[in-house]
Amino acid sequence: MQFSNISKIAVVLVSLALLIAVPWIASDYFVMMCIRVMYFGMLTLSLCFLAGELGVVSLMQASFFGISGYFIAIMQTRYQIPFPIPPLVGIGVAVLFAALTGLLVIRARGIYFLMLTLVLGQLVWALASQWASVTRGDSGITDIFAPVIFGISTEKSKGAFYLFELFFFCAVIYFLAALKRSPFGLMLRGIRDSESRMAMLGYPVSLLRYMAFIFAAFVASIGGVFFAYFTGLINPHSVSLTTNVETLLSGILGGIQTLFGAILGTAILKILDLVLSGITQRYLLIMGVLFLITIMFAPRGAAGALKRLWDGFASRTLGSGSPAGGVSDDPFYEDTK
Amino acid sequence: MKRKSWIIAITVILFFIGAIAGNAMALDEIRIGTIGPTTGWATIFGQGCLDGIKLALGEYNNEFNGIPIKVFSEDTKADVEVMRTKLDSLKNRDKVHLIIGPSLGHEGMAAVDWGARNPEVPMLIGYSAPEDITMRKATNSVIRPGWTGAQVIFNFGQYSAKDLGYKKVIIVGQDYSYPWDQAAGFIRGFLENGGEKVERIWHPVEAVDFSSIMAKLIAMSKEYDAVLNNSGGAQVVAFFKQWKQFGLDKVYPQILGQANVPIVSMLSELGDSAMGVYSSLHYYDGNPSGANKKFRESFKKKYGTYPDVIAVQGYDAVHVAFKAMKAINGQVDDSKKFIAALRQVKMSADESPRGPFYFDKFANPVQNIYIKKVVKKEGRLMNEAVKTYTEVSQFGPYADMADKYMAAPATTRDYPPGDKASYFMEIEKHFGKDYVEKLKKNNGWVD
Repeated sequence: MQFSNISKIAVVLVSLALLIAVPWIASDYFVMMCIRVMYFGMLTLSLCFLAGELGVVSLMQASFFGISGYFIAIMQTRYQIPFPIPPLVGIGVAVLFAALTGLLVIRARGIYFLMLTLVLGQLVWALASQWASVTRGDSGITDIFAPVIFGISTEKSKGAFYLFELFFFCAVIYFLAALKRSPFGLMLRGIRDSESRMAMLGYPVSLLRYMAFIFAAFVASIGGVFFAYFTGLINPHSVSLTTNVETLLSGILGGIQTLFGAILGTAILKILDLVLSGITQRYLLIMGVLFLITIMFAPRGAAGALKRLWDGFASRTLGSGSPAGGVSDDPFYEDTK
Repeated sequence: MKRKSWIIAITVILFFIGAIAGNAMALDEIRIGTIGPTTGWATIFGQGCLDGIKLALGEYNNEFNGIPIKVFSEDTKADVEVMRTKLDSLKNRDKVHLIIGPSLGHEGMAAVDWGARNPEVPMLIGYSAPEDITMRKATNSVIRPGWTGAQVIFNFGQYSAKDLGYKKVIIVGQDYSYPWDQAAGFIRGFLENGGEKVERIWHPVEAVDFSSIMAKLIAMSKEYDAVLNNSGGAQVVAFFKQWKQFGLDKVYPQILGQANVPIVSMLSELGDSAMGVYSSLHYYDGNPSGANKKFRESFKKKYGTYPDVIAVQGYDAVHVAFKAMKAINGQVDDSKKFIAALRQVKMSADESPRGPFYFDKFANPVQNIYIKKVVKKEGRLMNEAVKTYTEVSQFGPYADMADKYMAAPATTRDYPPGDKASYFMEIEKHFGKDYVEKLKKNNGWVD
């Protein structure tokens, strides 16, 4: 609102340029951290999209993430199917799975949605660890190699992998942000706030929710592609409850109802984890305290806290032009009122 | 002229400083990274290994020929994605010369995959036991001074069939890949040496209520001779307790155990109910050798408890590394040389608490396997060796047909088959008719 369209575009371009420049200016180690944040970021994004737009918490997003990873692993290591078929099939199957499970879970609300997704998520996990002839059980599948794109091996060059992933990461964010702003997104918001009213107005409530669920699964499965390619392996842990809960925690830490919060939370969690564990063995304690502080003092997560800081700063420097109450916390969200 | 000589002098001095600095860089310190789960459910495996590593380094005063050794410890949380990231950290951030770890099965598989992509970092595997780390996936830079799941239990199957004289055995175990491998190794040893049938019962990994299984075992007792417990941790404790409660100790002889069942930390939990349990491993705590006594006493002094086989793994890894460093005069910067030296290491009975061992061409130890029995000695429960099989490789009795062994299908929860007829059909298919003939002629394996 305070920004004109031109300065907004300028900000986006500059930050994009900075992100693209990372492989040339930063160390391999830093690039690796960014890659990691991005694929887990996509997983968290899918969870936060559901939480923000449908108002439900899913504990099976990692299943979609893992399914695309597993399909890549199996097709590439067992049948030597060349890129780009495995990731496309992987994403396709994950979306199909979402279409099936969506039928089961989409009518549930609140805690029942949570429980249903938990059960389905654990089902996928059990399948991954028990169906050993296909998934190799707990040992998992290794030897997945990242593809060659435009003649550059993303397996050998971390920078190339980073750029490859960054492209899809930005596309996913754009996709979700556009979805939120579209009539579809507004309808979802209406359903979240008052389902009965939307139903009365003649909107196909269940269908809309169902589609949102599938979109979220689609985003998570893209994350899974990069996970499998970057780590070069997949095992049941990637679809386990731990992964699901960690995703939820990153969402809460960053601010679960916003896209920006999802990315921020993942970045904080994953980077802190790495940095702290190098310093002390008691790093989980520090993380725990951090969560406590977040939930007590910034219930809207780090993104919410940042937003509050920024608002305070803006109102002080720009005078009375402080934003009005009804503005969403989401930096990607443009108020349409 | 004057200026020219000045320039030369300065160049020479700079060159020297550079050379010295370069040298100083090389011999500054030896950096060792350790990796393993030190938080979460698997802490016992990661921490045990780490304790062993620290104990061994302490014996060398944390230095090698006056060069200090710096240890970087990383936690995997038993998650392979985290582990890969930490391995990258150790390599890129800390620039370690050697990595010791990991300790869990799936971690080991992921580590060897990482090793294949980063062949310039030597890695010593800790407690991880999947055979593929040093078999189908073996890579030059990954060396395992440990064990494979099947390696330690082949002979136990043989012992159960020949020495204990059992014909039909039930295996009850947790439903995941490590127990599957244990069962597979046992079945091979058992059926090829006169055993007739092995029935596998799998229960969920976290199960603690075995009442339905106990009822089943009672019903099966008419046909079967013995039960082998193939679980770990809390499940073993619960199983032993319910075994007594349901009165199965009156129906069957004492439980047989997979390799991990009667390890030191378990014995204190199981108490007298573990008396007489047979199992097999490449280490036993009652080993009277000097190396083992020294290891146990110094471990007890440092940490207050007696060590497990898990700590032996970390302890041995450090000693293997030091032996290799001695052989190459501490040139750990030359990773090719270092890796080659590591693979050459031969440990004697005076150097390792487990006894002598050396590496096969896949870098897995060829070592003694002990059939052990839990006894009470000086008021404490202890494992005593009742039989020792020397120089057992990871291929066990198939050492001279390793290729065929590796080409055979991978172990699953019900492969290889548990009854004699279909098992022999399988081995005839994969190991050839001659092998089956030989087995029949020798009435099993030749010791």
